[in-house]
Amino acid sequence: MTSPLTRLLDFDDQYRRDSQQSQAFLHRRDRRFAQQQQDQRQPLTADTWLAELRALNDQRQSSGRDPRLRRWRQARWIFAGLGTVLGAAFMAGLLFYDGSRQINVTLLLLLVGVQLGLALLTSLQAWLGWQPWASLLGRTAEQGDPLQPLRPALSARIAHTGGLMFAISGLLTLLAMVTVQDLAFGWSTTLQASAEGYHRLVSVVALPWQSLWPAAFPSAELVAASQYYRLGDNPVSDPALLGNWWPFILMAWLTYVVLPRLALLVLAALQVRWQAAASLRRHPGYQPLFYRFETPWVETRGDEEAPRQPAPVQVAMAPLPETGTLIHWAGAGQASAGLVAQLTTQASPLQLRAGGNSSLEEDADTLRRAGERGQPVILVARGWEPPTGELADFLLDAREQWPAGTLLALVPLADEQGGELTDDKLLAQWQRFIERQKDASLLLCAANLP
Amino acid sequence: MDDNGKTQTHDDRHSDAALPRFAVVGHPNKGKSSVVATLAQNDSIAIAMESGTTRDSHRYPMKVDDFTLYELVDTPGFQRPRKVLAWLQGHSLSASDRPDTVAAFVTQHSDDPRYHDECELLRPIVEGAGIIYVVDGSVPYNREHEAEMNILRWTGRPSLALINQIGSDDYSADWEAALGQYFQIVRRFDAVRAPFEKHLELLRSFGELAPNWREPLDAALEYLQALKFGRDHQALECMADALIEMLGHQQTVRLGEHERAALLLPTLRQRWQAWQREREQRLRHSVEDLYQHRRLQRQESDLSLPDGDDLFGERTRQLWGISKGQLAAAGFGAGAVGGAGLDAATLGHSLGTGALIGGLLGAAGSYYYSDKLTKVKLGPLSGGFREAIYGPLKDPQFGYVVLGRALVHWYQISQRNHAGRDVLVVTDSDGHWLEELSRGDRNGLQKSLLALSRRRFEPSKRQRLIEQLELAQQAFAQWQMKRFSEGQ
Repeated sequence: MTSPLTRLLDFDDQYRRDSQQSQAFLHRRDRRFAQQQQDQRQPLTADTWLAELRALNDQRQSSGRDPRLRRWRQARWIFAGLGTVLGAAFMAGLLFYDGSRQINVTLLLLLVGVQLGLALLTSLQAWLGWQPWASLLGRTAEQGDPLQPLRPALSARIAHTGGLMFAISGLLTLLAMVTVQDLAFGWSTTLQASAEGYHRLVSVVALPWQSLWPAAFPSAELVAASQYYRLGDNPVSDPALLGNWWPFILMAWLTYVVLPRLALLVLAALQVRWQAAASLRRHPGYQPLFYRFETPWVETRGDEEAPRQPAPVQVAMAPLPETGTLIHWAGAGQASAGLVAQLTTQASPLQLRAGGNSSLEEDADTLRRAGERGQPVILVARGWEPPTGELADFLLDAREQWPAGTLLALVPLADEQGGELTDDKLLAQWQRFIERQKDASLLLCAANLP
Repeated sequence: MDDNGKTQTHDDRHSDAALPRFAVVGHPNKGKSSVVATLAQNDSIAIAMESGTTRDSHRYPMKVDDFTLYELVDTPGFQRPRKVLAWLQGHSLSASDRPDTVAAFVTQHSDDPRYHDECELLRPIVEGAGIIYVVDGSVPYNREHEAEMNILRWTGRPSLALINQIGSDDYSADWEAALGQYFQIVRRFDAVRAPFEKHLELLRSFGELAPNWREPLDAALEYLQALKFGRDHQALECMADALIEMLGHQQTVRLGEHERAALLLPTLRQRWQAWQREREQRLRHSVEDLYQHRRLQRQESDLSLPDGDDLFGERTRQLWGISKGQLAAAGFGAGAVGGAGLDAATLGHSLGTGALIGGLLGAAGSYYYSDKLTKVKLGPLSGGFREAIYGPLKDPQFGYVVLGRALVHWYQISQRNHAGRDVLVVTDSDGHWLEELSRGDRNGLQKSLLALSRRRFEPSKRQRLIEQLELAQQAFAQWQMKRFSEGQ
């Protein structure tokens, strides 16, 4: 089971890899996986999907130590180390006692309050998503960085780790100092505070552990006896009594510094998990993934076939023979009054018909009559219609029946009025058709006499 | 269908004969492949394949999770219909043996190169396919097709005639009258220009050819409709991601301690613009890929022209950007939306002052930034180097330019049939599509675009942006329709 943070990063990695792929490929792959999971009654989650892709790509499950989290891990260790050292130094400095004056409980309580305030402020800024320290982490993160929205929570977790180590090492230092030294505590304040008032204050502070550890609840006598002033000797009736503050100090530190830090650290860790899970759900690749899981893969394209380009050809237009028999293939140009004058110098050449809706017998008759004339033949066809097998058969029959070497001029028209075909693609199509016939007497000609 | 095992079983039971299969046949170059390309959404089908070169038929099954609902068969055109008909007439005794005679022709001539095309086109019909006979309605009807139509009638298979419109002339009425004598159903269909709804209508009429074909065809239509809807939504996601990246993009370069940033400005700007152009291209390719236009030639404004229709050209800005007045108005709206938060926080005690102040600030900001050039920002010094950062562009116009260009491209692609072979020209136009958006939606969009250009865009707001783009998409489509009807 991967952590939500690792899952988020793995998901983002896969999303970036997939962004190079076509939607069709992704849909096929993910839909197939979804069906497979449903068949095997396995859960359909981002985790199982990532595991499947890892298996397909022969990748091992990462150890959970994502390199992008290294900086955060390092920062956590540094903060923990600094917290430990500073906590011990802070407490040792605070409890430094040379016998000249009591250690001020008021100052200790104030510092406990500051620690609590800092801890709460750290969590508050994480919950509100503030990053006043963002500039310390270098320039703003790269766009689309999945860790970007988690930075406040991750930073809070680091700060709380440091804070907790600070609190624990402070607590241990306090215990050590209490063990190895005879500390004398007292309280002092510039404010007009009576012993009763101060006792009420410490009663409120000690409320959480009052019943658990009565010895850690300072009595009114202890409070009255341990007040001291800046000037004067402040004689103490019972010096041994002044050491009795330590359980209270210990419990105050534990209750208001250690435990809140621990609780807030746990909360920060949970917040990282929640936010990582929420970030995954909001990830631009998340909804599309589940769309691909749920939506059937619809395929209409069939097998891809690369369009075959016709071979390039050099169009060679030959001059029209001046006279000849005219054959209208499939009735091409028959409606044009001026076509004959365009094609031949003869006043009234023989005009025949073949192809189209003529019968095969009519085609045979046309072949016979054209052959009998012994003249060149001008065959007019619609240039925009592709030459079919019927025309190829007709030419083959003509070759067999007509005298050898009879010139056959094939004239593709641009329109029914007999316009000259100029479209390169269409001309190339006719040129290729002529080349396929392998007949030296078959020529491609323009619809105009030179 | 949601269960693979079930699908497998179903597929096994789905005998070959029960599968609705449609052989698209006809004279060469009458648009058979165009019809198949459009219905199969496959732009790789070789359209206008040269007649006379040997061709095989190709099958295009419509599959849903490997379950075939119907199949289209693209076939070569008739080459020797009169000879085939003569052979059939010479081998038949009565009307009842005609289908068998056609099958016999295919069997007997399967190795004959002269009848290769006829065998290829008749084989799927003999095996049980319905007939879709395609003619060109832009040329006058003539009787030369009668041999082909007679052969098809001999097969005895259910048939539909399709009048495709290749050229500009219209002889559809004559064709309809003639084809009605040979075919059960006659439909008009422009394979290149027919909108998607017409594709579905045509497929529905395919289902009318046989009683047991209706159900799978109806199911197919539902899937195709859902597919179209899904693609439109996925296109929105692509657009949203491109906007987020493009509007928030920063170009960085390392700068020595004593190097002057001002000298780097032209280089940085050039790189930033190159990145933006490349990202726009990526968006276009992903949208084309979504709609399965994989062989699209795109003729765009020449990107090397400094002041042409380039993403950063002045003309582009004029076409897709919005006027300063509109910008200020939208800025006012966007600001007011933000300022309204103050009024809400004070439970209305500010009497709308928040909205007014917010609005004024928004308008002033929009107007102020509209001509402001981006400067190079410098990062902190580290190891003798600092980062020089260019971008994002603090110009609200840029967001509208990117969005406008993305929408016009999406619209053309989503409306384009796969039979289209002409070069796609991504044109710009007069008027502004934003006018089709309500004031509130315009303000919301402006707010999102501003947040993007200030890099204050939260990932959680991506869904909201997609919703705004959906409205923009609808507005754009409406605007295009209006322009189209005005142009008629």
